Amino acid sequence: MSERPAIRVEGLWQVFGANATAALAAAKAQGGSRGDIAGRLLDQGLIPAVRDATFDVAPGELFVIMGLSGSGKSTLIRGISRLVEPTAGHVDIEGEDVLAASRKRMTELRRTRMGMVFQHFGLFPHMTVLDNVAFPLKVGGMGRKARHEKVMPIIEMVGLKGREAAFPRELSGGQRQRVGIARSLAGDCSVWFLDEPFSALDPLIRRQLQDEFLEIRQRLNTTIVFITHDITEALKLADRIAIMRDGVIVQIGTPTEIVLNPVDSYVREFSKDVAKGRHARVGSVMRSDAGDVGPDDPGLRSDMTLEAALASCMSLYEPVPVRDGDGKVVGMVHPGDLAKALQVEET
Amino acid sequence: MSALLKLSPGLRAALITVLTGALCLALEPVAPWLVKWPADWTLPATEWVGAALEWLLGGIKPLARWFSGLLGYPMAWANAALTQTPWPLIIGITTAIGWYLGGLAMAALGFVGLSFVLTSGYWQESMNTLSLVAVSVPLALIIGGAIGILANEAPRIKPAVQGVLDVMQTVPTFAYLTPLLLLFGFGPVVGLIASAIYAAPPMARNVLLGLERVESEIKEAAVMSGGTRAQQLFLVEIPSASLQIMVGVNQCLMAALSMVIIAAVIGGNNDIGWEVLLQMRKANFGPALLAGLVIVVFAIVIDRMSGALATERKRYDPRVAYGILALAILAALLAARFLPGPPSWSLFDGAAQWVDDGLGAFNTEHGAKLTDFKNNTMFFAFLPLRIGLDDAVLPFTWGFQWTNAMSLWFFGVAGALAGVLWATGRPVAGLMLLIAAGVIETGVANLPWPFLFVALGALGWVSAGRNLAVMVVVLLSTILLSGLWEPAMLSLYLSGISVFACAIVGGLLGVLCAISPLAWRFIRPVCDMLQTIPLFVFLIPVLMFFQIGEFSAFLAICLYAIVPMIRYTRHGLANTPGDLVEAAVASGATPMQILRDVRAPYAAPTILLGLNQTILYAFAMLVIAALIGTTGLGQSVFLAIGQADVGLGISAGAAMAILALIADRLVQGLAEERRRALGL
Ligand SMILES: Nc1ncnc2c1ncn2[C@@H]1O[C@H](COP(=O)(O)OP(=O)(O)OP(=O)(O)O)[C@@H](O)[C@H]1O
Ligand SMILES: [Mg+2]
Repeated sequence: MSERPAIRVEGLWQVFGANATAALAAAKAQGGSRGDIAGRLLDQGLIPAVRDATFDVAPGELFVIMGLSGSGKSTLIRGISRLVEPTAGHVDIEGEDVLAASRKRMTELRRTRMGMVFQHFGLFPHMTVLDNVAFPLKVGGMGRKARHEKVMPIIEMVGLKGREAAFPRELSGGQRQRVGIARSLAGDCSVWFLDEPFSALDPLIRRQLQDEFLEIRQRLNTTIVFITHDITEALKLADRIAIMRDGVIVQIGTPTEIVLNPVDSYVREFSKDVAKGRHARVGSVMRSDAGDVGPDDPGLRSDMTLEAALASCMSLYEPVPVRDGDGKVVGMVHPGDLAKALQVEET
Repeated sequence: MSALLKLSPGLRAALITVLTGALCLALEPVAPWLVKWPADWTLPATEWVGAALEWLLGGIKPLARWFSGLLGYPMAWANAALTQTPWPLIIGITTAIGWYLGGLAMAALGFVGLSFVLTSGYWQESMNTLSLVAVSVPLALIIGGAIGILANEAPRIKPAVQGVLDVMQTVPTFAYLTPLLLLFGFGPVVGLIASAIYAAPPMARNVLLGLERVESEIKEAAVMSGGTRAQQLFLVEIPSASLQIMVGVNQCLMAALSMVIIAAVIGGNNDIGWEVLLQMRKANFGPALLAGLVIVVFAIVIDRMSGALATERKRYDPRVAYGILALAILAALLAARFLPGPPSWSLFDGAAQWVDDGLGAFNTEHGAKLTDFKNNTMFFAFLPLRIGLDDAVLPFTWGFQWTNAMSLWFFGVAGALAGVLWATGRPVAGLMLLIAAGVIETGVANLPWPFLFVALGALGWVSAGRNLAVMVVVLLSTILLSGLWEPAMLSLYLSGISVFACAIVGGLLGVLCAISPLAWRFIRPVCDMLQTIPLFVFLIPVLMFFQIGEFSAFLAICLYAIVPMIRYTRHGLANTPGDLVEAAVASGATPMQILRDVRAPYAAPTILLGLNQTILYAFAMLVIAALIGTTGLGQSVFLAIGQADVGLGISAGAAMAILALIADRLVQGLAEERRRALGL
């Protein structure tokens, strides 16, 4: 990770209310933890919706932000994309300080670098599918013919070929979000924000769109910030997950880390109902000193899911070796540990 | 004192009001100024306003004259276009637009409507009126649209703009005319500008509302697509708000039409409003009615067609519209060769004559009865309310003279009844009875001013707290100090009895419609119709039967102002949530009980809003009703127009606006209070 991060967020605060900037500076000057600062702001009737958020997103990474309703997820990406003006902190996108960008530069950045998908689609009701998708190019000054040529492949990619002339009201929910996705991609963005894009859809369509989304992601090389409140969706899609509560990012980690090592009861609560065996890998519970292994070798690999590993050493009671992709032994695991890791905490 | 504090706010307010009233009556002999504000205590506010305005307007007068000269061009063009275009083409274009917007029904409406206008013989006058509308509406749309957009772009000025729009809605139309006359001189341009000013606020309001209501995600999507602010506004937000904006266009059109017709009173343009006025003055009711019908036809055609713009319904095949146009051109060519021009057509003159004759016959036969009815209502109901029983009860009407002893008896009986009501646990009702008795005995026009201050202030306090109470008192004192108290009280009296009548009759009709869908089927189109007709036209039918005077004005006001009362009452009662009604049915309530105990309380806030609208409508009509002889502020406004007295015109207009504003805030406050009480 020595590479320059695609998005770098540092000490981002988003406080709503009158004179938020001054109030935040004063509260910070009094010192204390971010909880103390937030407390002071709350006492003044202000709403600290995002409190001191800091994280990096690597180029090409799919970074998921998860949290309950009202925890500040939307506000966080709206701050990063400057749909609202952050109260304090730094945001770099591909090395450029976004918060210092002029209005004009910001428009430019949105045309060329950023794309956003909204929970309720945000489609323009008076434009056809084609015009909706081509809108970012239109405001960018591209000619009618050129932009229509450019967006046709995108419309095809999201599976809306043949519906170009339809108006949003004539489409189903799933189709509407496909338009939203296509529109956010029209500008060839390199960072892509999706705010609960599938939450308004019914479960079947949601799963279908998730799969299509992963496919699209394979083809494009964008950095993605994806918001959801659905842990299954997060685990399915994410490279890394950030969990938010009351405006604070309480944990950042890979899906496995989140499931296996929740930092507190809030995070644990999320992963409670998750079938851990399907998300955690052997690598996360093995010991790397391949000493005392027993006689049996069921052929465990470090990237196997716990469920699969446990199935192949059901009847064993001795530690077994774990190999990497090339067959080299990289560690060992006790079948008992596998079983223990799988147990859902009874709280 | 501490006992007084323990009472409920409503009771306390009523008690204080009663005490103030009693005190004023008791002190009248020693301190007459308590009842009647002495004339030499008033400030010459109207003159000040007049002087200030004349100075101000004098400054911009050259500019205004220049502007009016400028407006003369588009006006002449529009007039030339409309009057020179062959009539078959105009009918054809209207029919084609009708088809495109609303299919066969709308096309038929356009065709039949304009054919009626053509054959009525008022084609020329109608086109003159339309040409004014054709210029004033674009002007109003541009001004209103710009104001709406500006308010949306600069959130800091939004409350101010909304406040101004609110006030403009309550200032009576005629009040605009005096300063405009001063600025632009007599002539059709004044009507045009007045109608543009009058029609701009609804547009501004709807544009602002529409823009505010665009979903935030849609706005953000436009931002994230990289649109500049102008691109966001014109490519996304305004088109997304188009339906609401079209509602604004519809209201703007109707307001402009209404105002253009009203502005005919200043004359100078041979238009349809003038025709109505002329015929009315000559007591030719047949032709007046015919010309009035022409206005109604225009109103309906314009309203329905522009209303169709504000729906999402799909449009109809434009090829048919082109076909209609082609036919119209053909017809125009043929007509140019074979048919006489439109002005010589007057197929309905016979009908108009017939109406006149019929009316004459009817009036000679039943006129006495009508007059009796009118006089009885005046003598036994209106007059006591206006000047009080003590002045109204005279030997030659009532058959006896009201004496002080009778007053004492009257109050004694009212007091006893109030006591009974109080004793049976309805103290507020008892005090209300006392207040009503006091008002009837004294007369609205003679009410002591402190009584009104306290009564309305207390009502404000009860309904919305101290701020409203203070506002009411301050506003009332401006009227008192400016010396317009007397006409204001007369206006209050006339609008009061009209609103009262509307509340009772409209309320009952509303209940009827809520109970019986059949009744609603009949009453609804009548309501639609009454709301489309320009105010002016209401005067014709009442004049036909009741001649000039207060009673006719009362009827005209009622005809117009009753509609919201019916609509809101029905709406409130008919839309009680189903589960509430079911719960009541399951508890074994009869339909009557459900109506009284479940639906009515639930509908109370809605009904109050209806009452509020009725009050505003009544005030709007008040000035126009002054055309047929009423006293009060409306009359002052008219006088001002005649004498080009800006000070009086504006002050009287402002006083009316103040009364309307106070009524509006009080009733809204009450509605809000009810809604809170119901937890809505
Ligand atoms: N413009 C604003 N003004 C004031 N408060 C706001 C504003 N926008 C958001 N908030 C507050 O900030 C907090 C976080 O809101 P946010 O919309 O970011 O939550 P979220 O995690 O996206 O929730 P959801 O899952 O419901 O979308 C909420 O308490 C919200 O009320
Ligand atoms: Mg959100």
